[in-house]
Amino acid sequence: MIWLNQILQGTLLGGYYALIACGLSFMYSVMRIINLAHGSLAVAAAYALFVLSDTYELNPFVALVIVLPVMALVGVALQRLVLERAKRGGTLVPVLATFGLAIVLDNALFQLFGADTRSLAPYIDELSYASWQIGDGLFVGELAVMTFATAVVMLGGLQLILSRTQVGRAIRATSEDPDTVGLIGIDGRRINAIAAAIAMVTVGIAGFFLALRATFDPYAGAPQLIFAFEAAVIGGAGSLWGTLVGGIVLGVAQSIGAQISSQGFLIGGHAVFLAVLLVRLSGPLGTLTAIRLVFRRSRK
Amino acid sequence: MTETFHTLSSGDISRRSLILTAGAAGVTLIGSRRLLAADADVIKVGFISPRTGPLGSFGETDGYVLDLVRKALASGLAVAGKTYKVEILDRDTQSDPARASQLARTLINDDRVDLMLAVSTPETINPVSDACEAAGVPCLSTVMPWEAWYFGRGAKPGQPSPFKWSYHFGFGGGEFFKTYVSQWNLIETNKKVGVLYPNDADGNAIRANLAPALAKAGFTIIDPGPYEDGTTDYSAQISLFKKEKCEIFNTFPIPPDFAAFWRQAAQQGYTKMVKICQTAKTGLFPGGIESLGNLGVNISSAAYWHKAFPYKSPLTGVSGPELADGYEKASGKMWTQQLGASMSLFDAGFEALKASTNPRDKAEVAKAIATLKTTTMIGKVDFTSGPVPNVSPGPIIGTQWVKAKPGSKFKLDYVVTEHATDPNVPVEAKLIPFNG
Repeated sequence: MIWLNQILQGTLLGGYYALIACGLSFMYSVMRIINLAHGSLAVAAAYALFVLSDTYELNPFVALVIVLPVMALVGVALQRLVLERAKRGGTLVPVLATFGLAIVLDNALFQLFGADTRSLAPYIDELSYASWQIGDGLFVGELAVMTFATAVVMLGGLQLILSRTQVGRAIRATSEDPDTVGLIGIDGRRINAIAAAIAMVTVGIAGFFLALRATFDPYAGAPQLIFAFEAAVIGGAGSLWGTLVGGIVLGVAQSIGAQISSQGFLIGGHAVFLAVLLVRLSGPLGTLTAIRLVFRRSRK
Repeated sequence: MTETFHTLSSGDISRRSLILTAGAAGVTLIGSRRLLAADADVIKVGFISPRTGPLGSFGETDGYVLDLVRKALASGLAVAGKTYKVEILDRDTQSDPARASQLARTLINDDRVDLMLAVSTPETINPVSDACEAAGVPCLSTVMPWEAWYFGRGAKPGQPSPFKWSYHFGFGGGEFFKTYVSQWNLIETNKKVGVLYPNDADGNAIRANLAPALAKAGFTIIDPGPYEDGTTDYSAQISLFKKEKCEIFNTFPIPPDFAAFWRQAAQQGYTKMVKICQTAKTGLFPGGIESLGNLGVNISSAAYWHKAFPYKSPLTGVSGPELADGYEKASGKMWTQQLGASMSLFDAGFEALKASTNPRDKAEVAKAIATLKTTTMIGKVDFTSGPVPNVSPGPIIGTQWVKAKPGSKFKLDYVVTEHATDPNVPVEAKLIPFNG
């Protein structure tokens, strides 16, 4: 029963990880950019939502409707002002540029909002901790279920946009070969700006759920980035459905790790992440060969 | 240098010697200016606290306290019939221990402070105390468990104190124990305590010292074991607390971890069982509790200062309510317990300077601190009768966050519920069960 509960809670937690990893994964898959400011941007969105809810007393869901278009514009600005220029300098420069952006954002947020820990939970009252009982001693949080469902809808929606719509096809084509698409009348710059806008909308949603589920402060971006990164990598960087699987694997690994030992929560997640990375890097057969080699050497 | 002067006197001014001379003259000039400053009757006091970064909520109120202190010292400080000008050099560690250490060294070597004050958390105080101890500069600090300051920096129980220059006052594990026993016996419970102590310096110290003492005092401690800071899911711990029906819950986490735990505990139906939720390290300041929404109401905490403390600041003359109200008026934010603690550090520091025969003599100042016996904003500070040399233990008062009365400017009120460690502090309210 306890194990079942752990797996259930871990799966729901995985939905949250998939949600925060979504934008990271999308940006990597269609723009080949690793955005290290991902977590900080999500926290910035959370602050925007907080200001609307706290100062203007809007319902956080209404605030989200206002913040998401703003995030889309932020995405366009990010692409035009930072990513596009950085990418001209090679593959490493965007990583450094977004890392720098993360530091600037964190400290700017600190200047604006101070060190106080914030949360949107007070503005949604009971939803932040309400739950459904689904069996003897088994509870699922309403917010956790909502987060999971949002992750599924969002990832599915992105998949649909990419595979079924004109824009989606253009985005994919641009990511394959930005120079050639120009020949068939697609404006690569415009398409990349649209992709960045979509990615930032998902970051806004991630910030929303981060703020609902826990607390945040100006420096909360980095831990979010780590989990998002691990979920994206476990699921196979760039694959959208893979991100959902990656999030769930990470969440379940952490929950089971915590059940085995109280210190096992983070270790469980990191261990699975490393194992997947190892297998990915060398391929299943490669790993086997490597293990065999080590084994043979140690016998000698 | 002698060589340079020699070349000069011989009348042969080469390019090299000119540069050397200019350099030497510059050095002499800087040296003489420093000497002049040292000669003047100015006392320099360093004040190091975390104003920004993850610990920023501790230092948030320091600006206001500094304003009051500077105003009180505007006309100087009279010591042994002589009036000195006072310069306070306040520095922000940005919550970084390495930076705290570097700031302390700069204040000591470049600014030549006569007294160092450090406040809030081991991350700030320990590196500053160590730097002062090494350089022979008197250092006074408060707001961290004194055991972690004294033993954490290499002192051994039963042996003479290894510290000559650093002194610390304020609460310790013993005070926490007294306060918890007093607070938890205020209402009827099954005396089963679910504890969530992390795998960090504070968590492990509490697990090793406080938990066994509480067990001896008649409480059953249910400990699922240490967890890592940054854990985002606590299903395993919550299941155990539910199974054991722990009606008291105690924790020493970093604030974001507690918020995640407490909401999940509510989801899983554990908070409905809890009668006392006692937090430390988190839940000290209004911001953190407010961000929990309804789940933050009725959480118990412990305060190293409260506006109900009956003491006045000898340095600035303000009382508890005056300090709290003044801050609320100046900032628009609710008062915090840090106001009184930072004020008490200035109180004690300047009382020591006044008691010394010569505030510019570091050994005299250290001697004055070692024999200091005075009353500050937080109450008695007495280095002559501490449990170990260099330490003066202070109170930690049981408190509770309750819904503010209608018409209040703020959402919550912070009330005193017990006073085992300082009976002079009036008890303001009865402890309410968490689900009361």
